[in-house]
Amino acid sequence: MKRICVLVVAAAVAAAFVAGCGRQPEPTSKEGASGGKRIYNIGFSQCNLGEPWRVQMNADIKAAAEKHRDRIRVFYKDAQNRTEVQQNQVREFIQQGVDLIIISPKESVPLTKPVAEAMAKGIPVIVLDRALAGEDYTMFIGGDNREIGRQAGYHMVKILGGKGNVVELKGLMTSQPAIDRHEGFLEGIRGSDIKIIFSADCKWLEPDAQREMKSALSRFPDIDAVYAHNDPSAHGAYLAAQQEGKGRENTIKFIGIDGLPTEGVKYVREGILDATFVYPTCGAEAIEYALKILDGEDVPKKVILPTRVITKETLEREGS
Amino acid sequence: MSERRLPPRDVSPARLLALAGEFRGVLALAAVFLLGVLFTPRNLATGQSVFLTWQTQSDILFEYSEYGLLACGMTLVILTGGIDLSVGSVLGFAATLFAVLLIGYGWSAPAALGVVALTGLAAGLVNGALIARFRIQPFVATLAMMVAARGGAKLLSGGIKVQPGAQEWYALQGPPPDVFRWMTSPIGWTGLQPATLLFLLSIAVMLVVVRYSAYGRRLYAVGGSEEAARLSGIRVGAVKVAAYSLCALFAGIAGAVNACRIQIGDPEAGATYELDAIAAVVIGGTSLSGGQGGMFLTLIGTLIIAYINKILSINNVPEAYRLLAKGLIIVAAVLIQKRRQ
Repeated sequence: MKRICVLVVAAAVAAAFVAGCGRQPEPTSKEGASGGKRIYNIGFSQCNLGEPWRVQMNADIKAAAEKHRDRIRVFYKDAQNRTEVQQNQVREFIQQGVDLIIISPKESVPLTKPVAEAMAKGIPVIVLDRALAGEDYTMFIGGDNREIGRQAGYHMVKILGGKGNVVELKGLMTSQPAIDRHEGFLEGIRGSDIKIIFSADCKWLEPDAQREMKSALSRFPDIDAVYAHNDPSAHGAYLAAQQEGKGRENTIKFIGIDGLPTEGVKYVREGILDATFVYPTCGAEAIEYALKILDGEDVPKKVILPTRVITKETLEREGS
Repeated sequence: MSERRLPPRDVSPARLLALAGEFRGVLALAAVFLLGVLFTPRNLATGQSVFLTWQTQSDILFEYSEYGLLACGMTLVILTGGIDLSVGSVLGFAATLFAVLLIGYGWSAPAALGVVALTGLAAGLVNGALIARFRIQPFVATLAMMVAARGGAKLLSGGIKVQPGAQEWYALQGPPPDVFRWMTSPIGWTGLQPATLLFLLSIAVMLVVVRYSAYGRRLYAVGGSEEAARLSGIRVGAVKVAAYSLCALFAGIAGAVNACRIQIGDPEAGATYELDAIAAVVIGGTSLSGGQGGMFLTLIGTLIIAYINKILSINNVPEAYRLLAKGLIIVAAVLIQKRRQ
């Protein structure tokens, strides 16, 4: 009996860790009367905080919200990559009576209904990065992965002079961003003499990219460039070439995507990557549009943020 | 799993069975190797077989050294009839800690490695105590550690990857510490990286311990039948605590290796590695019910997985077929194990 008790307690502790919730303070009163002006409560549900890109999104939202702290207060929730948790979070925000919801959904279809419920209660919803099914939300802000792939393709054509052998290290190919980054790239290099001689599904993971790059290096004496679907994979490919010990990391050009300050931008600055393409987190823009919505202004239904290329030259131009 | 009791007579013939299994394992590895030779692509410049080069062969050992270290520790735990689900997370925590000490605080590599190893050991002590003293099932106790250690890794890193310049207060802002390069560069004539040597050395040392020491015999006794072991005067709890501690110690070392490999302390490192480690042990032929198997089998099991992965990779086989092939191979290995019993 005692043993069962211990088991139950241990399981409960484990479950609490898994759920990992309950750290955020509950929104208390809607009337935050500062100078007579009302402070709006915004609920933000992030699908998971395991990826640096999403950590950056949270940081961007936090920084933007800090600037307007006399007007808004943001409550953060992390759905731990679980769709059902995120569904619950949207409903919790409705229960708590927030004034606006920002959501970066894990799955589009399962979250469509909870978001529609919020809309029905008169709570505007801003959807980030991944669109929902249907039209029942206030606005969508996101990047365009196909366009990013295309830009990477054009850049590749430019730096290789229209001809060369490329290794493609893909993201998880059952996910839409990876498919778009792949297809966009093919469009970008169409008509040139650039050949993809080796490609592998690296699932966004650096160790996997490192291994696959080793295989490519052992097979092909002439590799001109690597196109990786994210910066960590490009970094892994660079390290694989370095570990080979033939100095090929200096002749192969490495191109990545995402352009986070702590990853891609840093690697470009260090000369590891030739270029990275920014995949916007939409965090700052989300707060900007949230304020407009709360002020009763009209906003577009869909905003696609442009990418930009980061190379040594662009960094020098910005003087960083 | 620890509840399953085998008749006491299995305790000593276990080693004989293990020897028969080793023979089968070596044959299986040879078959996989042959597949590699037959299906190798050619280097476009030289026309040589890509598979049959020293570079590829040493890459195989190097690329699976973390899995090998984890499997080494996992073997001890599985021999006692237990399981350790926390090794992947402990690896992630250790990788993060190693990077924070080196990059954040500017520690020297030996000091950081020492602290990381001790931290691993401590995590294992907690696992062992929960299991032996508080009688929590190994699956549950190590599941709790798996979740908690991952949380610790994220807390320690602040949710980002630890690398020079990632935070302003880090001691290192420029190039990564030298130990990262050292760990992953071949030493002299051996052509083997320190990471690989750590893996092979760990397996070799634990092989001697498991096969020839009194502690090794107790591991088999506890895994064969806890009751019989207790009656013959073995301190079952102490044997288990030592097994879990060593297992997590190896996970800690694997974490340091991982940080060196990707030159980053990644708090997400090692996710699902525990499954690969368990697979390596089981494919080798060590029984999940405890008391049967050994360290040499685990080496074979790790190599079989490593070779299969490399062969699929150099032939550029699409992901879906890779997963199917791996699934088939695990079933085949377990079937061979069944026939033996």
